[in-house]
Amino acid sequence: MSTEPLLRVRDLHRRFRSGPTVVHALRGVSFDVTAGSMVALVGRSGSGKTTLLNVIGGLDRPDAGTVHIDGTDVTALDEDGLSRLRREKVSYVFQSFGLIPVLSATENVAAPLRLARVAPAERERRVALLLELVGLADHAQQRPTELSGGQQQRVAIARALAASPRLLLADEPTGQLDAETGLSVMALLRGVAESEGVTVLVSTHDAVMMALADRVIRIQDGHLDDQATGQPSTSAPNAG
Amino acid sequence: MLRLVSRRARAQWPLLAALLGVVTIGATLLGTCTLLITRTAERALEVAMARAAPAAVDATVYTGAVEGPDVPAVAADTRSVVTSALAPLPVTTTARASTVLRALPPALAPGTSVGAQAYLSGLDDLPARAELVTGRWPQHPGDAVLLESTAQLLDLIPGSRVHLGAELAHPPVPAIDVTVVGVVRPLPGRGWDRDPLAAAGSATGYRDGRFLQPVNAYGPFLMDLADLLTTGATVDRMEITAHPDLSHTNRRDLETVAGGVREADRRLAGTLGDRVTLARVASDLPLTLRAADDQRHVTAAVVLAIAVLGGFLAATALVLAGRLTAGIRADETALRSAVGTSGRQLAATATLEAGLLAAVAAALAIPASSALHAGLTHLPPLDHAGLTVRPAIVGVQVLAVVGGALVLAAVLTVLAIRAVPTAGDRGTRRELLARSGADLMLTVFAAIGWWQLYAQPSAASPRADAVRVLAPALLLTAGAALALRVVLPALRGVDRLAYRARGLALPLAVAEAARRPQAVAAGLLVGLACAAATFGLAFDTTWHQSQRDQAALSVGTDLALTLGTAPAAGDGGLVSAATAGAVSPALDRGTTVGQWLGTDGEAPRLVAVDTTRAEALLRGRVDGDRGWADVAATLAPRTRVTGIAAAAGASLVLSGTAVGDVPLAVTPRVLLQDATGLRTSCTGPVVPLDGREVRLPACATADGLRLVAVALPVTADTVGEPVAVAVTLTVPAPGSTERTTDASPWTATSAPPIPSKVGNPSVTLSSTPTGTALRMAATVELGGAEDAARTLVASAFTDPGPVPVAVSARFADEVGADNGSQLSVMVGITPVPIVVTEVVPTVPSAPGAVAVLADLDTLSRARVVVGDLAFPVDAWWVGNPAGPDAAERTAALHLGTVATREAETARLTGGPLRAGLPGALRLIVPAAALLLLAGVVLHVTCDLQARAVEVARLRGLGMSRRGIRTVLLGQHAGVLLPLLAAGTVVGALATRVVAPLLVRSDTGAAPVPVAQSHWPWSAEAALLAVLLAGCLLAVAVVVTVQVRRADAAHLRVAP
Repeated sequence: MSTEPLLRVRDLHRRFRSGPTVVHALRGVSFDVTAGSMVALVGRSGSGKTTLLNVIGGLDRPDAGTVHIDGTDVTALDEDGLSRLRREKVSYVFQSFGLIPVLSATENVAAPLRLARVAPAERERRVALLLELVGLADHAQQRPTELSGGQQQRVAIARALAASPRLLLADEPTGQLDAETGLSVMALLRGVAESEGVTVLVSTHDAVMMALADRVIRIQDGHLDDQATGQPSTSAPNAG
Repeated sequence: MLRLVSRRARAQWPLLAALLGVVTIGATLLGTCTLLITRTAERALEVAMARAAPAAVDATVYTGAVEGPDVPAVAADTRSVVTSALAPLPVTTTARASTVLRALPPALAPGTSVGAQAYLSGLDDLPARAELVTGRWPQHPGDAVLLESTAQLLDLIPGSRVHLGAELAHPPVPAIDVTVVGVVRPLPGRGWDRDPLAAAGSATGYRDGRFLQPVNAYGPFLMDLADLLTTGATVDRMEITAHPDLSHTNRRDLETVAGGVREADRRLAGTLGDRVTLARVASDLPLTLRAADDQRHVTAAVVLAIAVLGGFLAATALVLAGRLTAGIRADETALRSAVGTSGRQLAATATLEAGLLAAVAAALAIPASSALHAGLTHLPPLDHAGLTVRPAIVGVQVLAVVGGALVLAAVLTVLAIRAVPTAGDRGTRRELLARSGADLMLTVFAAIGWWQLYAQPSAASPRADAVRVLAPALLLTAGAALALRVVLPALRGVDRLAYRARGLALPLAVAEAARRPQAVAAGLLVGLACAAATFGLAFDTTWHQSQRDQAALSVGTDLALTLGTAPAAGDGGLVSAATAGAVSPALDRGTTVGQWLGTDGEAPRLVAVDTTRAEALLRGRVDGDRGWADVAATLAPRTRVTGIAAAAGASLVLSGTAVGDVPLAVTPRVLLQDATGLRTSCTGPVVPLDGREVRLPACATADGLRLVAVALPVTADTVGEPVAVAVTLTVPAPGSTERTTDASPWTATSAPPIPSKVGNPSVTLSSTPTGTALRMAATVELGGAEDAARTLVASAFTDPGPVPVAVSARFADEVGADNGSQLSVMVGITPVPIVVTEVVPTVPSAPGAVAVLADLDTLSRARVVVGDLAFPVDAWWVGNPAGPDAAERTAALHLGTVATREAETARLTGGPLRAGLPGALRLIVPAAALLLLAGVVLHVTCDLQARAVEVARLRGLGMSRRGIRTVLLGQHAGVLLPLLAAGTVVGALATRVVAPLLVRSDTGAAPVPVAQSHWPWSAEAALLAVLLAGCLLAVAVVVTVQVRRADAAHLRVAP
């Protein structure tokens, strides 16, 4: 595992205006994540986890601060640069799986490869490998509505890994899963992070997930209140 | 429940507004069509009756043989009966009466061996029926005016007094003295055909039943009617015509009047009793009303079919809207079910909401349909037809709108309580089977409908029947459903192909297009609306073209001038000058074929014109790419007749000799032809063949006449040996610029019935200092009866043999004739042999009739060679008249009544009883386009709203906004383009197979000629361009907005 920080977040601020009310979602958040590590982002609902992930992934822009991924300043990228970033370096796993309903599991996993315009043969080989990796080779032609929640999330993880990203952002990936399925998904994430060498930043409420992480970052009211290095925290809040 | 509906309405108002819009559009369309087939149709009937020709609505009472003392009372009683028959309509009456014949002083008609008789006539609107040539109108008792011809024959002028002898009656009716105060010329079309002598002014050999022997009749001596009625003269015939004022009538009054007219005969007989020997009421008003009613029903049937099509469209749009609504509310429905809401309660909520929607839609649609209907009546063709109305609400319209809104609401309710498929669902086997079954049923019904239309008898009822009303909508819907069956699998095929692409945009766009379940409903709407719009446009063109074809065939030419009296030499020149077109005299009358008189009282028609100019003259569609010129090529004579030019106003001179002492004489008849081909015959006095010259002053009366035939009936007082005769007719030459000699093959023949009575006929031409001499010679057989016909005929042409004719298909069918069949038709009293050279669908001016088309010249030649020099002409036909006012200029000639192809077309396409149909067609096209665009906007909006999260996720995957726009636009274009294309194909096929079957004639029968489908390429292309541009614009706007709004916030929303 490299000791170079793959992700460098500095003094991030993000405010949202809702009528006369201004909500400070992020208040000067700064942290680094080394390449190949799996980091759990923990906090209550509304604490700013999703906002932080969106800003890191370039889906949202901060009011202040910088985000560097693999040396690239995300906050300085234009729309095309952000799209390229998401195609090449960052991928997402959403709480609600985020699969495209009309596409089969294979087609969903192939989507990032198509965006990267990978050759068909290579694409098919990679998709088959990933589906095998997540244990869904037998469900390759099924559409999301024909899969269970856990299976859908496995497909989402396979899709997130398809384009070999440097950073995988997972926003409460077990939020809609039962405990057993959630655990298997988390184990899968841990496994693929190691096997694929991907850096994983996952927001979660799940204590098991925290236990699997290399590091736990706690966020509360838009700022980090604790950082653990090397060891996962066991005192994470149970509810968000 | 009401609170839920209310709160949901506030939260989802755009969606409800869309639903309300669709229901309102459907109900408005239904209400407008209802108004077209009720209010407009009733108004059309009234307008049509108000515009009807007087002859079609007048009631005329004919009475005969009324003795003098009874005449005033009979006239008054008759007026009373006919006026009451037409009650409650205001009525104006006109009357004419003619007395029995009375003896004329012998001095007025010298040189005749039979008695000269005259009659009096009284008309109470004489100045409206005749033109005063000289003198004045009758003002005092005993005043009379004469027709020009009568005045010339009797040599009477204003101021002349005439003593008309007593009637031979018991008790005797005294003589009457009248004073001629003026000379008049009868105006055409003013009822002179009902004059005892048809305004000819005189008739030799006239029989009226009161005299044992024929008499020479003269008259009428035209008097004021009131004066005539008090003379005490016996009235031979009296007509009282009542003209109802239909300008402010209504259907109930019309029905009352029609009933009154039907009863009038009985009342008249009871009122007049034995004061008259004949009393009869004649009126076409009931028939006219029935014909108008038939036409109203024909129009209503098609308008109803259009309304049903609109209803199908609205229902389809509503199905789409309902499915989208149910899809959007799927979570809410699931939640309500989860918290214990029963299916019945869900249905009740849906019914309440749909009912409220229906109520609001009906409340909007009722005034909207009234306003739309009123607006429509202010546009062509309804406004030109005089059908303009102000907005008004009628009961049947309210019923139709409310009923339509409720039906549509029921559709909405059913959709709301059905399970909704979600994106990515594959159709279950059961659903697929159900849909296949529905498609199959629809197809079967459509096929049955088409077969019923196709097999309907040509004389089908004008009234709307379920088949005619439902068939178009069924066929279009079935076609759209089947097209969807093709388009969706095709898209799935493309989907498989697109999967091979390297990028994501194309396969994703195609997958979205091919796999989304809403595409079925949206596709059906797009396909059906496009099919309906293109079909509506094409049917409009097909219908109009059929009306033009019917008009062309009905008139037969561009302008037809039907003559009131026999034409005079030079009339053709007047018509040519007035129209600047190709002019031909025309024969258009009933005939008999051998002994066959026709079927059902319908005599075979004989139509003959100058077929050498058929292309310019004849109108009406012929089969395939043939024209009338092709048909006429077999009819026209090979050479034109030139004849001998005669100087206008100069007298032809005839002299002859006979060998031996037998006194022989001829009564020469000559036939002259003008530049238009009109031939006029002229009969000279009896000319003894003693070498003396006799002048024929009244023959060459106009410029440009040419002598084409001479007939010389030879009479002898005794029988004996054959006698050689020689007759010379000298035709004075016109000016030096005209050709005086003739290259025509002058031929002499002996006319039937016994040609051997005139042997060795010969004719030669020679030039003389005064003109051209036509020398005819023959040997006359004087054996047998003294009065046997011995007619020497000389003509500028040879015997044409059987006249080549084209016969109508119905003629061929009923007579059993085919090409080469030789038959005989009667022209006047002369049988003319004909040979069938062509069978055509129908003959110009005789649509659908048993008819024969011949060349008038050839027909005339065939008659001339048998001694019949009469040239039968009923009309002038004009091709390609110059300028729109040619008809007016022609009518101003006062030669007869004018009909034009354009006027007939305008009547057929824009008449009050027909204008509702194009009006409705102009309604369905924009309505279909509107529903299509509304459906597309609704579908795209709901689709993109439902997929907002998906769009954000695509961004999360690294797809650029441009890429996402490409996917979404590609997806919708991928659905819309093939659907629009498929809808167009369905519309075109429906136009091909259904549109011609929907076109009916006035009576509900199949039109003649048979309607052919027409596809207006430019209009259809413009329509498709508008639809395509509208769809793509709507999609582009929605997609752009949606992609712009897609941000990270959506990622927090569950799918």
